[in-house]
Amino acid sequence: MAVSVRSWVANEGGKHLVLMLWLGANTWLFLRTYLLYSTGQQYHYLYKMLGLGLCISRASASVLNLNCCLVLLPMCRSLLTFIRGTHTVSSRKTRRLLDKSKSFHVACGVAICLFSAVHVSAHLVNVVNFSLSYSDDFPALNLARYRGEDPKWIILSTIPGVTGVLLVLILLLMFISSSYCIRVSNYEIFWYTHNLFIVFYTILMVHMVGGALKYQTNLKAHPPGCLRTNQSNSKLQDEDLVQAEDDDIRCREDAHFEPHYPQTWLWVSGPLCLYCVERLYRYIRSSDPVTIVTAIRHPCNVVELRMLKKDFKARPGQYIVLNCPGVSSFENHPFTLTKCPTANKETFGIHLRVVGDWTDRFTQLLLPPPRADMEILPMVQQRRYPKVFVDGPFGGPSEDVFNYDVSLCVAGGIGVTPFACVLQALLDGWRGFRLQRLYFVWVCKEIQSFYWFAELLCALHKKLWQENRPDYFNLKLYVSCTESLQRMSEERYRPLSSRLLVGRPKWKMILDEIGKSNKNRRVGVFCCGPKSISKTLHRLCNSTRSSGTVFEFNKESFS
Amino acid sequence: MGKIEWAMWANEQALASGLILLAGGIVGVAGQFRGWEFAAYAVAAGVFVCLLEYPRSKRAKGTSVERSGQYCFTVCVKAFGPLTRNYYVRAFLHAAICVPGGFMLATVLGCVCLGIASLIYLAAAIRGEHWEPILPRKDVRKPVAESIKNPPQNPPPRPPPETRRKQAKDLEGAAYDNPSSVTDD
Repeated sequence: MAVSVRSWVANEGGKHLVLMLWLGANTWLFLRTYLLYSTGQQYHYLYKMLGLGLCISRASASVLNLNCCLVLLPMCRSLLTFIRGTHTVSSRKTRRLLDKSKSFHVACGVAICLFSAVHVSAHLVNVVNFSLSYSDDFPALNLARYRGEDPKWIILSTIPGVTGVLLVLILLLMFISSSYCIRVSNYEIFWYTHNLFIVFYTILMVHMVGGALKYQTNLKAHPPGCLRTNQSNSKLQDEDLVQAEDDDIRCREDAHFEPHYPQTWLWVSGPLCLYCVERLYRYIRSSDPVTIVTAIRHPCNVVELRMLKKDFKARPGQYIVLNCPGVSSFENHPFTLTKCPTANKETFGIHLRVVGDWTDRFTQLLLPPPRADMEILPMVQQRRYPKVFVDGPFGGPSEDVFNYDVSLCVAGGIGVTPFACVLQALLDGWRGFRLQRLYFVWVCKEIQSFYWFAELLCALHKKLWQENRPDYFNLKLYVSCTESLQRMSEERYRPLSSRLLVGRPKWKMILDEIGKSNKNRRVGVFCCGPKSISKTLHRLCNSTRSSGTVFEFNKESFS
Repeated sequence: MGKIEWAMWANEQALASGLILLAGGIVGVAGQFRGWEFAAYAVAAGVFVCLLEYPRSKRAKGTSVERSGQYCFTVCVKAFGPLTRNYYVRAFLHAAICVPGGFMLATVLGCVCLGIASLIYLAAAIRGEHWEPILPRKDVRKPVAESIKNPPQNPPPRPPPETRRKQAKDLEGAAYDNPSSVTDD
């Protein structure tokens, strides 16, 4: 499959541009600081004492400052949702870049770990050099108390040393528990260790207190390299005296050294305050309890929940985070909205699939299993629903379905939830959007899953048929489990059963067909499903197309 | 917090500490710093910890993803039986291994990380977890139904010859009720 340059640039160009800019900024900062410390006159004596370790440690420190500043910004979800929502500020290209905010956070995190390793190694070498090259000429410059002091005690008796050890420990804890398998299996471990970042940042801001590295302040009065007349420096005496006579350099006074002011707080305090304000805002916003209107059980272990909250506004494609103190006080779980509140109906809804222990317990609280003695009589008593708090809504890639002329939505199993909201919005009024045609492919393992949204799909199909736009909505349903024969026999679901195909979809053929019907256009592809589908689709979107259509790939992930 | 599997986190932490111990040990030996014997010990200890911790345990609930190429390590670790199954043994083993690393600057970080891993293993052991090898699953073929071995001896029932001859001339008269149902209602 040949990669077409036009498709590749449309799909990957923006991301790679941001990556290049970020790498460029890091490299420039590293080189600038390195050169400052290796050639700067005010660091001349310090450089002579410590050597290369000084330059590498300070250069990596400046890169660390930049990355610690940038790593918090992609996690300000409410701010990103706001940017995504204002069409004046952001174009479609910017919104597609916002989809990758978590990847950028990971990239900055990895850079922090790498450069911390470099910084720590260089400073260890510095500490050894402080001990070995104890300077008798400039005692103010020394960190060690005497020549040959054990480096371990130098580290443990200074503030930068102790804070450095703590920082490295916290960073290692955060990094190791954020690996993929731990996030997938025990999300709480990842979440609680990652919240140690606040301790990390507090210690980081006091890391430089104590001033281990000093710079010279009186450069004019004491140009570095000049010698005092009554000072004996046997190694360089002859050459320097000759040079001093030639260049007429005179030392008028002793070198004075000043420690650096801690600079990290300049970089870090802005994003840290922004993030803390954002968390506070989210906490206040989610402290209004939510009224649960109804809970409905669907086939294949799915429960639909309809809720009501004052002043809750959401767009199709956004998700909310649910917290139920009756199940677990600290766990928060994201769910995509399947129904947004509109002017007519203020309820909003989610569909959740019962997979882990939280959803299991939550479903038991919502829909308690019927007791044996109540089987005969209908359930008349008042349903006591658990208290639920909702944080959000937060933006997702599927918000952009309406901003293309033609869109293809691919859903795998429960991944249909963001698109259900889109279809609901189309049902309420399809004329107001830029979207002219929607292709919808839904792949499920079992045919029972289609009953989650069968009513919605048939209602939309019928409405468009009656309003003389049958080509607006193109539906393809696939049942991937081919072992047992499955049918949808209800008469009212005829539009679905006639569009149902058995077996996995052939993506290349589907994209070719869409390309032929929409020549020389930009088609938005939105995928929410298992990795195999999204990988195949991504590859196909980047490849050449004879019809001149460009497919822009947008992925929604549930991890 | 009820269903967390601490062992998985302890395993990741211990593997990372093994690598850090190894790296610190190599630096200590290469630089010939004071106390480089501890660094040499750290190299050996780091390699041992990495080999012990590389095979992931099978999860109690859910799918287990194994590390690439871990099958041979699984077999070796499994061979030690209860010594490697029990997490109390691992907790104390890691606590004992990490102590000599604390005497040299280059290996201090590995020592502290291994100590943390040992504490998490202790928590896992108290909660009753143990190490299960991930072995490849043998696919069980569906047992062949008995009826395949005994094909029917007699042809299917047909109407008598007179009725069959009548079918060719008189279609309506040849109608008969099928004795057994053909739909699977």
